[in-house]
This record gives sequence, C-alpha cells and structure tokens, in this order.
Amino acid sequence: MVLHRLLLLLMILVFPAQRDKILIMKTFLKAIGNVFKKPVTTRYPFEKTFIPDDYRGLIGFDENLCIWCRRCEMVCPPGAIVFSQDMEGKQTYHFNRAVCIYCGECVRACPKEGAIFQTAEPAPCALKAENINNGWNKLFDESLASREAYAAEKKRKAAEKAAADKAAADKAAAAKKEEENKTGADPDTMAG
Amino acid sequence: MAKQYEIPIGAQHISLLEPLHFKFTTENEKIVKTDANVYYVHRGIEQACCSKFKFRQVSFVVGRVCGLCSISHTTAYSQVAEKLLKIEIPLRAKYLRMLVIELDRIHSHLLCLSHVAENSGFEALFMKTMQYREFSMELLEAVCGNRIQYDFSIVGGVARDLKPQVAQSIMERLKKFIPQLDELMDIYKNNWTLSLKNKGAGAITKEDAMRLNVVGPFARAAGLAVDVRNETEDLLPWKEVGFEMITETSGDVYARNMVRLRELYVSIRIIENIINGLPESALITETKAFPDGEATVRLEAPRGELFYYAKGNKTQILERLKIKAPTFSNVAAMAEAFTGNEYGSAPAIIASYDPCLSCTAR
Repeated sequence: MVLHRLLLLLMILVFPAQRDKILIMKTFLKAIGNVFKKPVTTRYPFEKTFIPDDYRGLIGFDENLCIWCRRCEMVCPPGAIVFSQDMEGKQTYHFNRAVCIYCGECVRACPKEGAIFQTAEPAPCALKAENINNGWNKLFDESLASREAYAAEKKRKAAEKAAADKAAADKAAAAKKEEENKTGADPDTMAG
Repeated sequence: MAKQYEIPIGAQHISLLEPLHFKFTTENEKIVKTDANVYYVHRGIEQACCSKFKFRQVSFVVGRVCGLCSISHTTAYSQVAEKLLKIEIPLRAKYLRMLVIELDRIHSHLLCLSHVAENSGFEALFMKTMQYREFSMELLEAVCGNRIQYDFSIVGGVARDLKPQVAQSIMERLKKFIPQLDELMDIYKNNWTLSLKNKGAGAITKEDAMRLNVVGPFARAAGLAVDVRNETEDLLPWKEVGFEMITETSGDVYARNMVRLRELYVSIRIIENIINGLPESALITETKAFPDGEATVRLEAPRGELFYYAKGNKTQILERLKIKAPTFSNVAAMAEAFTGNEYGSAPAIIASYDPCLSCTAR
C-alpha cells in the first residue's frame, strides 16, 4: 500500500503533465503490489482451515441411551438413518455419512437427550471399497424387510398365543361347565 | 442491410457459470436480436416435494434448489408452510432469519461483482473481490454450521441460536470489511478500464423494465423501485431494522454494479441493527397441525423477488408446491437488453444479470 502510493507520488512529481494518465494506472500498480503480498489462501492439507466450534459434523449415536422409538429415522430428509431388527426384537442403528445432509433434524426430534447428537468433526471421504451407494440401498431395504419379518413373526406368535389361550380358556370353560352340570345334577346342592 | 450472422453462446461456455443458451443475431459486431433458452438443468424438485418428502422435510429439499440463495428458498418455504399451518413464529426467529438472509446477500452480491470484473477482462479485481468475500462465507459457517447449505430456517422457526461470541465476531469482521468495501467501491466506480466495458453496456430503460416485469438489482439499476422488503411487513419486519431502497438511473452494467455495492452498505447496517437489538424469545413454535388450504409468499432474494405457492390437504405430503425464481422474471428483459451492444461485451452483460439457472429450471 505505502510503496505504490509513494511510487505514484514520485511519478506525478516527475511528470506533472501526465497526472491524469498516472492516476489511471493506480489500480494497475495496486495489482502489481499484490505480487509481493503473502497469499490469502490457506495451504489446506498441511494447515488447518477455519472450522467453527459448532460446525455441523458427523452424527453420533449412543446405544445405551436410545429408547428405540425410531423418530430420527422418520424425520430424516434424505433417509440416512435406518434401524434393522433381528428375530429376537433387538434393533441395530445404521447411519450413512455420504447420504446425510447434516441438518440436525434427528437431534431435534430425539425425545431422549444425548441418544443421538451432532459432533463438530467433518465427515471423511467415502471410498469405493465401502460401496456406499448401492450397499446402502440394499441395507436400507433389508433393514425394512427385517423389521417387517419381525413384526410378522410377532403377529404370528401373538396369534398362536391367542389361539392357545383361547383353547385353554375353552377347555377351562368346558371343564367348569361340566363341573357345574355335575354339581347341578346333585340334588343336595340344588336344594341348597 | 448488412449481412447477418447467428452466434450462439452456451449452453456450455467458459464465460458462463451455469448452463444458459443465448443465440445472438449480429450485424457486423452489433447484436440486433437475441433468443434465450434457459431450461437445461431441470431436476424435478417440485414433483419430489409433492410426492416423496413430508412437509417438514421439504424445507431441506428446497434449500438445494440454489446454492447461492439457499436461505431465501428455505425461508420462503418455511413461511408458506407456516401460513398453511396458521402459526406465528417467535420474534427472535424472524430476526435471525433476516440476519442470515442479509449475510447471504453480501456473499451473493460480491460473487456477482467479481464475475462482472472477470468477464470484463479484469482478473485482478476478480481475485480481490473473492478475497474480500471470504469473510462472509466464514461468518455464515459460524452462524449456520455450514458454508453453503445453511438449513437454518425450519417450519416453525429457526434451527440454531446465535451465540454471543459469534455475534461479536460478526460485528468485528463487518467493521474490518467496511474499508475494504470502500476500496472496491472506488475501483468499480472510477476504474477507467472497467468503465470501457461497463458504462453504457446492456442498458435498459425504466419503461422497458416496467413493461418486461424486471425484478431485483436489474430493475433497481434502471430506476424502478421494486423491492419486496419495501412492500411486505407482515412476515419479516424489514423497515424496523433499517431497510433503505437503492436505485440508479442509467440501467447499464455500471449501474447494476453500483446498486449491488450500495446495497452492501444497507445490508451491513441491517446486520448491525439486528445484532444490537436482538429480542429474547423462543426459537421455534411447535405445532402438531397438518398443512391445509392455499398460501403464497414473496421474499426478496439477492436476485429479486422469490415467489412460493403451496397447497395442502391435511396430510403429511403437500398437494402442490410452485417456485418462481427471480431469474425467470428477468429472462425476457435479459434478451432485450443485449440489443444494440457489441458482441464482445456480451459476457460482462450476462454476468451483470446475475442469472441463477438452477433456481429457474429447478
């Protein structure tokens, strides 16, 4: 800054008649002055770039706190969270960092504080070996299917149980009736 | 009559940022007629919003319509959804929305100015403007948590609060930016080389601007005082925070640069007023209602008036969502303003329109 102003002043003093033309060169000289300045860009992989404290980074999950309500999966705009379920009813949380848009909607929807949370850590790049697109689509469908299978199994078991209960109840009722008939046939009780 | 040539520019061209096609009919070097073709990047977002996504998720989808005015789209959608839900948002949420919209306007206007400089053949000024623009990106990252897709407005309010240390850093950085803006103003106003390409190029009269329904800085440069911030008070209280209309008269590239630069001063003042008088209240209004009925919303994006229409039917999925981006309104005038100019100044004129085609074609 100081250097090019001095230079301009010097040129105006030396060539006073050319004053207008020299002033036109002002920006040109500024541009030349930029050559001697330090770059404003950061040398990113070697230096750290600016990341604020509450950067919207990776989504974390705490299995011990989760109440398995699946509300985060319901609100997620791109569908980056899915829960699968095995036949014993135990649920597993799956998260895809390449699908996630880091909006934090799951954190806002979570009824249990701290079960799902947002860290300030930027997501690492997805690798080809991870098969993050097709693999995820497959996993997503399989997870939904596993939940359906569990629900169907539960329904079948419940129906079975209900049938067994009904049979037992019928049996008990029949036995009771028989007993009633038996006791009803007793003349002493009838009289009583 | 001189021999006429047809020269196409686009859909892919080094001076264009986005896929836009102009077909110029020229006589010698003078442009006599222009055809514009804008729909190259159709992504079917409106249909996706009405079929795949629930109404609360749509505010994140429409944020992806445009990278530069992401916050304008999310805010406009949130407002239209709030109208359908018939809820009023907290005052603090309104102020925070305005804060992010104005920060976004600073970075969008500086990007446009830098591209005008670049397309006029002034690479050094392009670099300088981009260098000064960086602070606004960092501030947006500190406020919203991300450089580009802010996801700040959600249906019912805003997603994050403004921390006191972030507010303080905004004030400090703005104070540092004002002398830099003065320097840019000086260069864009007085530089002789830039004036050769900018003064008198791509001019449009006030009558033509009115007839062709121009919006945004394009209209204000021609002397037409249109700004949604001046017209609506019900959704965001713009006048309370010190909005001021900026107009120029000549309607050329130079006037558009001046409008954008002077609007930056207004934006800075609005941001300072918002931070100094930020009211205390909740951030979000919770509701379990479903959208019902029809509503429209207008909002001043950096490029002009953004229009949203939505129709709900008491379910999670909207029945219809219509987006009208500011560039769509300007297409007719864009083709008109080339007439009578040299073909060589076409790139600078295109950049000065600040066309956003991913908004327009969606």
